[in-house]
Amino acid sequence: MEPVRMVLCLLSVFISLVSDRLVVLASFSQATDSDFTFSLPAGRKECFYQTMKKEASLEIEYQVLDGAGLDVDFSISSPSGQLLFSDQRKSDGVHTVETHEDGDYVFCFDNTFSSISEKLVFFELILDNMDQEEDPDNWKEHIIGTDSLDMKLEDIMDTINNVKSRLGKSVQIQTLLRAFEARDRNLQESNFDRVNFWSVVNLFVMMVVSAVQVYLVRLLFEDKRKIRT
Amino acid sequence: MGLGGNMESGSLPRFMLEVFLVNCCLGLVSSLYFHMTEGEQKCFIEEIPADTVVVGDYWTQLYDEQKREYLPATRNLTLSVAARTPTDELILSHKETKGRFNFTSFTSGEHKICLQPSLSQPLSAGFIVVVCMDIRSGERTNNYTEIQKRELLTQLQLRVRRLSAQVHDIHKELIYSRSREKNFLVINHNVNMWIYWWPIIRSVFVVTFIIHITNSC
Repeated sequence: MEPVRMVLCLLSVFISLVSDRLVVLASFSQATDSDFTFSLPAGRKECFYQTMKKEASLEIEYQVLDGAGLDVDFSISSPSGQLLFSDQRKSDGVHTVETHEDGDYVFCFDNTFSSISEKLVFFELILDNMDQEEDPDNWKEHIIGTDSLDMKLEDIMDTINNVKSRLGKSVQIQTLLRAFEARDRNLQESNFDRVNFWSVVNLFVMMVVSAVQVYLVRLLFEDKRKIRT
Repeated sequence: MGLGGNMESGSLPRFMLEVFLVNCCLGLVSSLYFHMTEGEQKCFIEEIPADTVVVGDYWTQLYDEQKREYLPATRNLTLSVAARTPTDELILSHKETKGRFNFTSFTSGEHKICLQPSLSQPLSAGFIVVVCMDIRSGERTNNYTEIQKRELLTQLQLRVRRLSAQVHDIHKELIYSRSREKNFLVINHNVNMWIYWWPIIRSVFVVTFIIHITNSC
């Protein structure tokens, strides 16, 4: 991480030297993402609504982190009520929706098939509203001074955009890895509890059974002694 | 802001659609919303490393299902927000109709944010509470327009600052994930120990028991 931070610090120093020549730069792209982890009680259905514009894309990725069976029903519907995707009893999934109409898209997690186990569900929404308003090349008009800086600044802009999109992807992947790890950890913790519990039960059963067997065998021997004398 | 749109909800379907869009979640970056009934509690879990700022924006409104329209905002409807640490300690408690809550995590782990709507008058049938929610943590809580004004940065400097904050966040998350892996290995080890040694202990016990019994008889 250290060399990346050094590069970024050098970049910002260089830019602060030439920054008074630049006025307008491209806006950030409109991709936003949010992730939520919530617990879905047994026998319940939880729905979430997301307002979307036309000609945008919505990507949803979900995963079941905890709960017996680690599965949940999932469905996405468009604002006009049409069912777009439907998953039955999956433990994870990813869907991309290209929106053709404005409105509220509904996605639901359904745990009605299970009457006792509560599920812990993680989902991540990645929205991409494709309205880039400003022209990225606008800044060229405002540069006064040495022309040799033009190309260098364009390179810097490209590099920065590149780094930004890669970092965005890294954050998304990190969130996903965290969800995977949480699921494995929950699974292993419940395994541990189960193994612990049943081993102790095994111990008691064994002791009781051995005591009973000893008692019964002693009983047989005592009878024999009585017969002899 | 959106209340004007509320009052004028006419019969034209297109206008209704705009009302839907303009209505809830105004001013929030993400417009994800969900329904709640009175007394119901919904909890969101945020797994974050230590010393991370978590900021949440929320917006509540009543919705009439039969008339399919939003009711004007009232002070009667409040949403109580409670944030708990991994050890179930309460670190934040808020109760407002709409607003923002923030807290900083002391320890790393799973923090729970629980929401519960409450009304001064009980809710009649056919009415539901619509809650818009947006929870952000780490670098995404920074208000870049404010930072730009305060430190007089240009756009390019601001973008580099944002990249630097993103890298810092990723680094923190990696450190946290390393400690989680360690815990995971410990649990794994415990399970394996039980599974490996228990049959051996059991067999040894049974054998000594039988020897003891046969000797004593």
